[in-house]
Formats: sequence, structure tokens, C-alpha cells
Amino acid sequence: MSITVFLSHQWLSFWRGRNANKSLAIQIVIGIFYLLIFLEIAALGIVLPFILNETMPGKDPITLFTSYIVYYFLVGLLARFQLQELPSLSIQPYLTQNISRKKMLQFLNVRSLIHVINFLPLFVFIPFTVVEIIPAYGTIAGFCFLIAMFSLVINNHFLNMYIKRKTVDSSWFFLGVVVFIAALKGLDYLKVLSFEKTSSYAFIELLHKPILCLLPLALAAYTFLLNNRYLKSHLYIEELVSEKKLTISKNYSFLDKYGDIGEMISLELKLIFRNKRPRSLMILSGVILLYGFLFYPRYVETGNYAALFLFALLITGMFITNYGQFLFAWQSSHFDGIMSYNINMKQYIKAKFTLFVVVCSLQFLLASFYGLMSWRILPIQLAAFLYGIGVNSFATIYAATFNYRYLNLTKSASMNFQGIGTMQWIQSLVFSFGPALIFYLLNKFIGFWTAVISISVLGMIGLAFHEMLINWLACQFNMRKHKILEGFRER
Amino acid sequence: MISIKNLKKTYKGIDAVNIEALEIHAGEVIGLVGNNGAGKTTFFRLLLDLIRSNEGEIISKGNIVTQTEEWKSYTAAYIDEGFLIDYLTPEEYFYFVGKLNQLSKPDVDAFLQTYLAFFDDAILNKGKYIRDFSKGNQFKIGIVAALLSNPELLILDEPFANLDPTTQLRLVDMIKAMAANNSMCILVSSHDINQVSEVSSRILLMEKGKIIKDIAGGETAYEELVDYFKVRG
Repeated sequence: MSITVFLSHQWLSFWRGRNANKSLAIQIVIGIFYLLIFLEIAALGIVLPFILNETMPGKDPITLFTSYIVYYFLVGLLARFQLQELPSLSIQPYLTQNISRKKMLQFLNVRSLIHVINFLPLFVFIPFTVVEIIPAYGTIAGFCFLIAMFSLVINNHFLNMYIKRKTVDSSWFFLGVVVFIAALKGLDYLKVLSFEKTSSYAFIELLHKPILCLLPLALAAYTFLLNNRYLKSHLYIEELVSEKKLTISKNYSFLDKYGDIGEMISLELKLIFRNKRPRSLMILSGVILLYGFLFYPRYVETGNYAALFLFALLITGMFITNYGQFLFAWQSSHFDGIMSYNINMKQYIKAKFTLFVVVCSLQFLLASFYGLMSWRILPIQLAAFLYGIGVNSFATIYAATFNYRYLNLTKSASMNFQGIGTMQWIQSLVFSFGPALIFYLLNKFIGFWTAVISISVLGMIGLAFHEMLINWLACQFNMRKHKILEGFRER
Repeated sequence: MISIKNLKKTYKGIDAVNIEALEIHAGEVIGLVGNNGAGKTTFFRLLLDLIRSNEGEIISKGNIVTQTEEWKSYTAAYIDEGFLIDYLTPEEYFYFVGKLNQLSKPDVDAFLQTYLAFFDDAILNKGKYIRDFSKGNQFKIGIVAALLSNPELLILDEPFANLDPTTQLRLVDMIKAMAANNSMCILVSSHDINQVSEVSSRILLMEKGKIIKDIAGGETAYEELVDYFKVRG
């Protein structure tokens, strides 16, 4: 059995996976999305010299570029900790077949290399080398520079694999690398030791003496062999998958006094914090809070309140959109159970709504500190918050009753399109741009306060009629319950 | 307790379940047997309103299952891992199910004390999530959680298949005792005709969605079933 057979199986599993079976439209949208990212990064490689010239005129672009290479690879290692997963489990069905260990190792190594993160750097380094380095230092130097860069990419790749295999939890390494980068940057800043100068000195030395590219090459070979040797002696499933952490059981006992709804919310909180995918979504919702620092000042200055409102909607309501689009799908692995436990459907829906309100209120309170930037942010955020919990929350629950796709909670969330259907794409567009458009029109033609108050009133109407809306949603849910159940059983 | 009229579920034109009439009474232990694809699990899922029937209805204590939720308060089931919340520890899961049935933590603890032998010291206080237990132990957790609410109707899909011999025998005794003492109605499906004829008071044999035999359990039932399955093979 040659390695191409393994790879063709992987190819088939990618396209035939039940959840990969998305409509053509979605695949095209995702395809365009990826293409755009690749194009942007390739364009970055070409225009980088010009950007460097613009921002720091008079300095040699190659010196600047090379001074950041080490940082680039350190940050790249961080990204790998988050984005790259071990492909170990994919060999499970082959372990009992008549296949040599050597083949299996080859497969694991080759398979792990096939990852976006290994291809992206090429789109930066190749254009930069062609545009800048080759004219200045000649073809051989440029070629060797590329070899050095690829070697460092490969080195990073296998280093990450090795660390992930060796350790139960890579978050300490993550933290370690963050501290290391901060320390380097700090030393640079305090002018104690210029790491950037060292970096550029080393790489420019490499351009002068291309033979030095053998050094990174040797480094890559070393990490590869290190990883390979470890794998060779640990080719057992239980050893390939990093060990599970011991349970740190957190109980949300303060929710006990709220009866069944409190119990269901505590269940949902456990779901979020004990599973990889919802956990990373939750972290994302927290990170989004910082968007204000990036975008608010610009819009406050230009008085573009409609755009500000759009971001306020994101900042205060990200949890609803993110978590809500899979509202029921989060529980898809045990939905049969949820539907046959002694749970009243109205209470079930109400618990979900309450969770939305609680988390959004928290986000809103934290976001209120932006009021220090400009007082106008406060009414806008209040309107966005009220609209979020009064309208978007119900609309999201309604939309979720159309989501019939099973979701795997243990896969990471970034770049993960599992369980996303056409409805979810339309939903996220309509739910954020719809109200923003209303705000824009009202603000433009009538006035700021009319816009703020109208949007807030919409939200308050929703809140006033929440019991009725929940009853209606429970009916809607019951109508499609069997379809949801059927969809979730297809894994 | 349960009466079924003209229940029909088809997949792509093929009958998965097709039951004209069936009455199930409190205190009965019903063993459901039949080869793969006979419709046992589909029938159980219909009873729990987890799939929609094409025709007919199931009436549980006077209420139509698809239209009310009252049956949930006295029905408990364990069909597969899809009934377990796998990111909870077993204790948390028991407390959760207990709470849904108005049982306090001490109530649940007292209940679990009576199942220590059944757990064989492999379930409680292990500091593990349910997803990290073996399939057999997950089954134990599921069965005990189903019993927790002291249901009037209990549905277990192939409980013997995943259990070790000791636990299988314990479960047989438990089922018999529960039916006798609490007049619980229990539906059990199984491929083990020996065990199923021992435990059941009534046996339903399914073939291609239809109930083709409705006989009393016991020694004679075992022989009748052996005859049937031999010919099929």
C-alpha cells in the first residue's frame, strides 16, 4: 500500500464526510473566501517592500524584513499551537491492517504537512524574494534564502507536532512563547540588546554566504528526526492522542436556586467550558469586546454613527450570533436524550433565551467603559444591546430551529465550517446589517436620537412580549423537532 | 398503559415499523426480539416521540404521545450514548436527571447507594467525564440514570449486549424485581433469546417492522424462538 492510497482516503473522507456535504453555493462561498485570503497574502508579499518604504523611509527593505523574521516564526509557532491538530486518529483503521510501521510513519508525517499554515508563508516569501532579494543579491542567494525560509517553516511545523505529542497541555508552552516574545521585544525597546538587529544581521549574512542556508536545513532535519523517532516508539492510539486532563469539575451551584431553568443554564455553561469548539467561540466573543479600541475612535471622529452602531451590535451581541446559530446543534450528540428527559419545551427555550440575556448583559456592562471615549457610544451601545436581546435573540432561536446539522464539539472552531448551512450565512448578514441599515436611514434622514430610540423600542417590544414569543418558538421548535433529531443522528 | 393503533413508519417505501394494534399493560416486562433491521429501535424511538410516524398513533395513559409532553414525567429510556451528556461526570449527570424529576442531591445520593454493587466501583468518584468511560460503563450510567426517576415506563435497547456477564445477571434480577414490586412497565430489546425469555413476561417477535409473534415468556418461549431463528438462519 503506497502513501498515495492513504492520501486518497483522506481526500475521500474530506469530501464524503457527512458534514462536508454542503450545498454547492456554500462550497463556492468558502472557496472564494479561501482564495481571497491567499490572494491577499500573496499581494502582501509583493507590496511589502513598498509598505516598508512608506512607513520607514530611507531604510533598506531587506534589512527591515529580515529583522522581523525571527518574530514571524515565533508568532507562527503560536498560531500553530491554536490551529494545527495532530492527525493521529486518522491512522486508527490502518493499525490492524498489514501495513508496515514505516509506511504509517511516512503517512502521518506527510499528512500533517498538508495544512494551510504551511502554505501561507510561501505566498509571502516567494514574491518578496523575487521582487527584492534576487535583484539585489542574485539568484543563488535568493534561492538559498528561500530554502532557509522553507526549512524554518518545516522546523516550526515538526516542533509544534513534537510539543503537542509530548505534552498534555500546550497552553503552558503557548504562554511561555508569549512571554519570550514579550521579553525579546522589551529588551529591544530598552535598547539592552537589539534582537531585531541580530536577526537582520544573521539573515543578511546568509544572503552574502548562501551556503549558510544549510544551517536551517539541518535544524529542520533535526526536528523532523526528533519527531519521527518519538512517533516510531509511540505508535499506539492511546499514546498518539495527548492524554486527557483530569476533570476539574466546576459546579455552578449559585444557579441551583433558579429551578429547572437554572439547572439547564448550568448545563449549558458546562457545555461551553468543557468542549473545545464552544470554548473557543466564547473566547472569541470576549476578544470581540476589544474591537471597540480599533474601530470606535475612527467613527466617533467622522461622526459615522451607523457604522459605530454596527460594531456596537457585534460587540454586545456576538455571543448571540456565534453561539445561537448552533443553539440546538451544540447538544446534537445527546439530543435524543434531551428530547426524552423530563424537560418542558417552553422551559428549554426559555433557558436558552435567559442564557443569551445574561451573557449579553455582561458584554454590555464591560463595553460600557467605551463611554469614556465618547458619551455618544453609550446610547448607541444601549440601543444595540436592547435590540440584541429583544429581537436578535428570538430571531436567532427561530433560525436555529432550521439547523439540522450535527456538530462535533471537540474540533477547534477556527476555519471550521462544519454544521454551517446556507441559512446561517444569510442569518449572520441579515441580523447585523438589517438593523444597521435601519439605524443608518433614521440617523441620516431624521436624527441621531430618533435612530437610537427607535432601535431601542424595537428591542423593548420584543422583551415585553418575551413569554408570548417563547411560546411561539416552542411551537415552531416542536414542528421541526423530528427533522432536527433526524439530522443530528446523521454523523 | 400504552395502546398503539395502526402505527406505521416507512423509510424510502420500506416498512420500518408497521404495527396494527398493540396493548401494553403496567407490570409487564416485554421482551422485543428480532434480527437486525426488524424495527426494534425504530419502534422505541417512536414511543419516545423521537421520530415522526407516517401513520397511526401511540396513546400513553390516555394521551397521544406526539401531542403532549406528560409522558415524559413517567417515561425513562436508555437507547444509546445519544442519551448521555458526555461532558458531564457521572455524578453531575445523575444530579441533573434527578433535578429534572424533582429529586434533591441527597435523594440522588441515597438512590446511588443502592446501586454500588451494580457499578462495581467503576463509576462514581472517578474524576472523569462520561465521554472517557468505556461503552459498557456508559451503559451502566445510562441505565441507572433511567431508573433514577422511578419511571412507570422503562425502555432499554439491547442492555445486555454491552454489559459484562455479572452485570447482565444483576440486571435480569433488577428488571424482574422492579416489574414485580413497583408494577413498572418495562420494554427490553435483546439479541440474547435465552436472557430475554428468562426476564420477560411477554415476548414480541418482530420481522420487517411487523409483530409476528406475541407469546408469554419462559421456557417454552425460548424453544419457540430458537425454532424461529434457526429456520431464518
